[in-house]
Amino acid sequence: MNYLKTKTLAFGNFFTTANYKVILSMFIMGFGQLIYKQVVKGLIFFAIQAGLIVFFVFRGAADIAGFFTLGTAAGNPAQGIHGDNSILMLTMGLFAIILLMMYLFAYVTNIKDVYLTQLRVEKGSPPLKFKEEAKEYIDKKFYKTILFLPILFVSVFSIIPIVFMILLAFTNFTGDTFPALADWTGFASFRELFGQGGLAPIFFRVLLWNIIWAIITTAINYFGGLGLALLYNKKCVKGKVIWRLFPMLAFAVPGFITLIAFRFLFSDAGPILWPINQERLLDPYSYPISFLGIDATWSARIIGILVAAWLSIPSSMLLATGILSNMNKELYEAAKIDGATGFRQFTKITLPFVIFATTPVIIMQFIGNFNNFGIFFFLRHGTFSMIGDVPYSDTDLLVNWIFRLTVDARRYDLGAAVSLLMFIATSAIALFIYLRSPAYRKEDTFR
Amino acid sequence: MSSLVFKKKKFKLKPKKLIDVVFTYIGLIIVSAIFILPVLWIVISSFNPTGIHTPEGFLPTTWTINNFRILFTETSHFNYPRWLLNTLIVSSLSCVIGTLLVILTAYTMSRFKFRSRKKLMAMTLLLGIFPSFLAMSAIFFIMMEFGLGSIWGLILIYSAGAPLGYLVQKGFFDTIPNSIDEAARIDGATSLGVFIKIILPLSAPILVFTAITSFAWPWSDFILPRVILQESRDMWTVAVGLNAMSSDHPDRFIAGSVLIAVPIIILYFALSKFLISGLSSGATKG
Amino acid sequence: MQSQNQNIQKRLPLKIILVIFLVLVHLGTLIGIIAVIGANSHTILGPGREIFTGELERGARIRILENDTAILQGFLDEVIEAFNAEFASYDIMAVDANQDNFIDLEQAGPFGFGPCVIFQANDRLMRFADGGHIFPLPIERLDAYEYISNEAWNAFFGFVDEIIVDDNGYPVIGEDGQPLRQEIPATLGVPVMIQGPVIYYRRSLVPEGTLDTWGNIYQFNRERNAMGGATRGYIRSLIDPYFNMGYLFSFGGYIFGENNTDPSTVGLSQNNAYRGVGVIRQLASSMDSRVTTHELTPLLYDLLAQGTVAATMTTPDVYTLFIDAFMRNGFTREEAIAELGVAPMPFLPECGDLTNPNPNLIPTIMMGGVNGYAISAWTDYPNAAFAFVNFATSFRLMERRHELLGIVPSREDVAEHVGGMSQIINEKLASGEILVMPGIREMAQVWNPVQSFFASVSQDAFRSFPRYANPSGQLAALVTLDSAITRAIAAIS
Repeated sequence: MNYLKTKTLAFGNFFTTANYKVILSMFIMGFGQLIYKQVVKGLIFFAIQAGLIVFFVFRGAADIAGFFTLGTAAGNPAQGIHGDNSILMLTMGLFAIILLMMYLFAYVTNIKDVYLTQLRVEKGSPPLKFKEEAKEYIDKKFYKTILFLPILFVSVFSIIPIVFMILLAFTNFTGDTFPALADWTGFASFRELFGQGGLAPIFFRVLLWNIIWAIITTAINYFGGLGLALLYNKKCVKGKVIWRLFPMLAFAVPGFITLIAFRFLFSDAGPILWPINQERLLDPYSYPISFLGIDATWSARIIGILVAAWLSIPSSMLLATGILSNMNKELYEAAKIDGATGFRQFTKITLPFVIFATTPVIIMQFIGNFNNFGIFFFLRHGTFSMIGDVPYSDTDLLVNWIFRLTVDARRYDLGAAVSLLMFIATSAIALFIYLRSPAYRKEDTFR
Repeated sequence: MSSLVFKKKKFKLKPKKLIDVVFTYIGLIIVSAIFILPVLWIVISSFNPTGIHTPEGFLPTTWTINNFRILFTETSHFNYPRWLLNTLIVSSLSCVIGTLLVILTAYTMSRFKFRSRKKLMAMTLLLGIFPSFLAMSAIFFIMMEFGLGSIWGLILIYSAGAPLGYLVQKGFFDTIPNSIDEAARIDGATSLGVFIKIILPLSAPILVFTAITSFAWPWSDFILPRVILQESRDMWTVAVGLNAMSSDHPDRFIAGSVLIAVPIIILYFALSKFLISGLSSGATKG
Repeated sequence: MQSQNQNIQKRLPLKIILVIFLVLVHLGTLIGIIAVIGANSHTILGPGREIFTGELERGARIRILENDTAILQGFLDEVIEAFNAEFASYDIMAVDANQDNFIDLEQAGPFGFGPCVIFQANDRLMRFADGGHIFPLPIERLDAYEYISNEAWNAFFGFVDEIIVDDNGYPVIGEDGQPLRQEIPATLGVPVMIQGPVIYYRRSLVPEGTLDTWGNIYQFNRERNAMGGATRGYIRSLIDPYFNMGYLFSFGGYIFGENNTDPSTVGLSQNNAYRGVGVIRQLASSMDSRVTTHELTPLLYDLLAQGTVAATMTTPDVYTLFIDAFMRNGFTREEAIAELGVAPMPFLPECGDLTNPNPNLIPTIMMGGVNGYAISAWTDYPNAAFAFVNFATSFRLMERRHELLGIVPSREDVAEHVGGMSQIINEKLASGEILVMPGIREMAQVWNPVQSFFASVSQDAFRSFPRYANPSGQLAALVTLDSAITRAIAAIS
């Protein structure tokens, strides 16, 4: 409430005190700056306004219109009649909208800038020249210079695809759409998801395994990496570079390749089981063992956990080594003098430090493990059973299951709807943890 | 005085220390074996004409270097050398640009207190956890519309996406004490100066981590390049090519996979000594 | 000071109005541009044209996307060279598209990356027809037209959704503002090779007559197993829906009603199809647990070459891979060709029991496919592309394809001339023993349930508590399978 009050007061203040130069800048960007003789800045702002208008006339306006209609004319390429491509229009419309939003941000900056100059002048100092302003951007306002490009990139290459996916959930886009047209269908996809009976109990089964999996793998990978880093850091270890090489070799071979290799290794035809089963086949009372077969629920799950650990611990170790290098070694000396054992030193000194430095990493790794599509996609590709009419594999994570249900069947709208729901759930948990962590609240703990 | 203390310590801890050393090395050997054995098996299989598919046991029945030979000689259809070059370009440039961007972002977010900072931190966490297997379509269209369906478009995407992961590096920077910054400023350095002259040398470990992981990623990503590099098979990266070869050509597949590890290991050796520098080498005294 | 304040106070309402006005003008211009241009920016559907006028486009550069084996064995190079020589006078050149054979034409085509001519399996190509990405073809104009059987042509037959155009080629707009459309029958591809399963075997290890019936094979397996170690008789992975559905078909099961055109009825449990389940299970029990995985398949080439395995089943187009495996394992090329035998499908016992010593025999019906050429709707040179397809399906080149790659040609004259398995497969296609995979959209919903079903069936031979050991269990499972497919089709489409 207080916040709103101060904001409105400031706004009101602004209205009363702004002079005509500021007001002109609301009409043509950069005008006020030019009057204040800040030529370069004024021209930059003006160029932004002109540029946007040109872009919109030639491209952007049509794109935004297309965004709302999602195409009005369906063609048929086989007759040489080319119509609208709904998804292309969705994407480019989104792009134009983001550009518009960035422009609005520039517009507001423009007005704020003139106003600040006006205040400066009223207090008696002359308006800043370009060179002086530029210097500020290397020092006090360094963060603005640095963050400009990353924010721009992230907006285009991360935000647009994510918003695109969210919007897909509100259309009826499927693999059969193009070049027919997709339409905005509101919440129809969500209704369809919940309307499909029989999905709910299987969903909870998959969710339960997914949660167990995520907790176990994150814990193993994190503490495994940390443990390895500590092991390699020990004073008595000679040739650290060589010892660290072994996990790095595991890291250097791409994941999907080792997964394919592991799949063969643990398969019934692989070098481990085939010799064993050859013996068992001769005995009519024993049955062949399978690690990844259709009935082998728990062995497949355990193998998945072990393989995931094998794949992620090396990079985890690398990160932990980097973080540990900033530790204050004197703390250990002091603790040893006080008589603390190794384990106590670990829990009271090392652990808090590392967890503080890597809290967002832990959260991101947990979510990453939760959504680890690749591991079971490769390890148990094609091994699933049906429960009713729903394909289900006992090692599937939610992402695998959803992929099979939606994208495999080319129902991208349903896939997008489920992704959105999953995102809402996981982000709620992630935010809940992160916003309470010292890594967010008390960032100065180790400074 | 110190030599006396040293002698005393040596005497007291000898038996305990010996057991500790022995267990440490046993642990090291076990860990190394766990990591090296599958890789060793993959390397051995690359000399097998049928790749990892051994009819019996772990070792190939016949040994050959033909797999490697045809990778480099029969390139009309699967142009492996070209793929290596493409991937080298993509990974080197994305590594350099991406590392630069993410380190700068992380440092800025760690040091500067500006208004929307906390909100940005929360938002980037959220952006990082969206399940994005449908994002490819959007990226495809954007790239195609702007004519970026080439390895340059790929480099752009990898570099542009790198800053999103800055929270990892920021964690590192948050553990560097403010006293270092202040000391430098007293000497009259600008923000940029502090960063380049003081912080950067201390950040070697996290730089190494970032460089190695961002260099290694394009070598194993087979989804994104496949969507972007539609024009011709020759323009593929190694990961896409290997994935295409995996079912029907197991011999080339496994040989090609082994060679991918080489550049990454080389980079690791080049950077490994920087991995354990940093504050512990005594930047702040007293 | 006070007067200044007063002045400001007096002009305040004016100022606010001015500010709001200017901001509105600024933003209003933008929105105005969007609205005006947006309202006028709907796409006008351009005129369609007759595609295959027969007039060859001069200066055409057509990109050919063939399959991997054809390229690797040099066949594509031969065709391209010959074609370029023949059509040099028109300045038409064909080139290797150099793209992934499993390209997504719907995505690549619109941006100009796609190939002009694409060689693929019929079900994949027919998927592109759904959306107008490949052209309906004037197949009567092809030299090969009369030599390819109706069944092969049927694999590429479908109904396409066309826009009704007036005499000038412009779409006729209906009452709702959308162009009128109609469904017309069309053939969208040209068959080149027939795929149907065959048995590959070692002549020196398999006695005469063994491969005549599945019962004999079952017996033979048991004898080979008794030799100990890893020795096997006939073996192949048994979780493949593609190969396994044939056992159901042979006993009267079918996928879709009305000859695989009506997806509202699914009939895999019909008639005596349950006996097929029993056959699969019996076969599995005479093999080993490796058949429950896909990992066995890449091993089979060498296992056969080494004599560990005596026979297996797969498609004709991997003949060269077997020969390669033989040469890796100590055979010369001539010896390999002499030793590697190819046999047609054995007969099944009508009762479904492989242990029956003297059964009534019925033929094995197997699923097959047709691979062929289609022309991308995104090409700039449809007539040149059509000329290429005509050229590549000539007698000489189809015979050459068979020579180099071992495939079964779709032209009956070539098949007769070449004889052997090619002729047999063509005959089986005509007689219905090879059932071409339906190209309709609903087929996509069949694979998941069927695959999981067969995975369970093949595993069943190795379970301590089997589920499909008797007819009632087998039938119940099939009925569940049918309903699973039906519900999947209803739910997802």
